[in-house]
Formats: sequence, C-alpha cells, structure tokens
Amino acid sequence: MIRIEGAAWASMVAHAEGAYPNECCGAMLGSTDDGVKLVREALPLENAFAGEQAARYELRPEDLLAADRAARERRMELIGIYHSHPDCDAYFSQTDLKNSCPWYSFVVLSIRNGKFHHANSWLPNVEQTAAEKEELSY
Amino acid sequence: MPKVLIPTPLRQFTGKQDAVAVPGATVGEALNALTAQFPELRKQIFNDEGKVRSFVNVYLNDEDVRYLGKDATAAKDDDTISLVPSIAGGRR
Repeated sequence: MIRIEGAAWASMVAHAEGAYPNECCGAMLGSTDDGVKLVREALPLENAFAGEQAARYELRPEDLLAADRAARERRMELIGIYHSHPDCDAYFSQTDLKNSCPWYSFVVLSIRNGKFHHANSWLPNVEQTAAEKEELSY
Repeated sequence: MPKVLIPTPLRQFTGKQDAVAVPGATVGEALNALTAQFPELRKQIFNDEGKVRSFVNVYLNDEDVRYLGKDATAAKDDDTISLVPSIAGGRR
C-alpha cells in the first residue's frame, strides 16, 4: 500500500496539471513502515523525452541519482515515481511497462482537459511483463 | 573497499543495510561480490545471462560506467557505486 500526504499530493497534481497537455514526471520521497509506503514529499523532475511529450516521458538517470541523494540527506527514501497521462486513464501502458523498474511504485495521474481526474499506483515485475495494481490513498 | 549504495526497496535483501562495502578491484567484481553476499539481490540486478538488467544504470561516484570502462571500470577503496534505474514511459 502507498499513502501520499496532502502537501506532496497537491504538488504532484499541480505539476501534472501545469504540464498538460504534456506528460510530467517526478520522484516520490518518504518512508516505508511495515510494508506501508508513506510519501512525504514529491520532487518534480524534468521530462527529458526528446520527442513529443504529450504521450511520453523520460527521466534522466542523473536526476534520479540526485533525487536518491536528496532523500538520503533528508533521512527519507526514494520510494516511487509518478507521471501523468493527459486525456486518458491512469493505466500502466506497454511503454510504461517496458521502461519500468520493479524496485519502485509507479503512480499514474489521469489529467482530463487540464484537470486531475483519477490516479492509480502500479508495481511492475522484474521481467517487465506485468504490473500489479497497488492500493493507493491520497 | 568500494561501497555500494542500496536502493530502498532492495534493502530487504541486505539486512536493511543502506550501503554495503564489498571487495573488488572493478565495478563488476564489486557487484558480483555484493550479490554473492546477498544472493536474493542477484535477480534484481542481473538477468539470466549474467548481464546487468536493462533498467539498471551503474554509476561510479557521479559517472555512468557505460561511459567509463563498463564492468571493468576500476573501483578504489573510497569509491561509491550507485544503482540507478532507467525509467521512461507514456500513455501510448
């Protein structure tokens, strides 16, 4: 289960709505206790995809390395990645799956007409062949 | 010995250690020593052919080892090795 605190959630929604009609992406920092992940801070990162960003995102590894260092310095943990899906549902697409990493929760925010609509969290497997839905609260 | 920083979700395989010092004169030797010490980690980092998985970028301090000497990149005692995921996606 993953729970996102209010301020972090507001930051993620504002980032996703602000990036519309493009996709946004970022890191989620927090802690894990007894299998429950608590997101205390959202860290917006640049969508580095070189082409049309309305349907794609890409994170720079060096940005993720910096996010992990920031988390460690603040005694938090990098526990997940978020991105938005403009004008479609918060599913985990084949593109999401084939470019995922099983170590993290992947929160997808559906943005319709520029406004937040719904969200899901996904846990991809190590072979990148399937992703399980994770209980999400915000 | 070089130190490998362990990403949070993988600490369940390292007895909750967030960093592990391992013997090894190269990055490849260090990662092999790490996964020999913690065998459950191996599947997360290496594929069945023994290659580092496509979603794993290995950094030596601030440098991606793909642009250095890959697995053969020399690792010194005070070096830090990081496992950084390669992540992208999109609605289509």
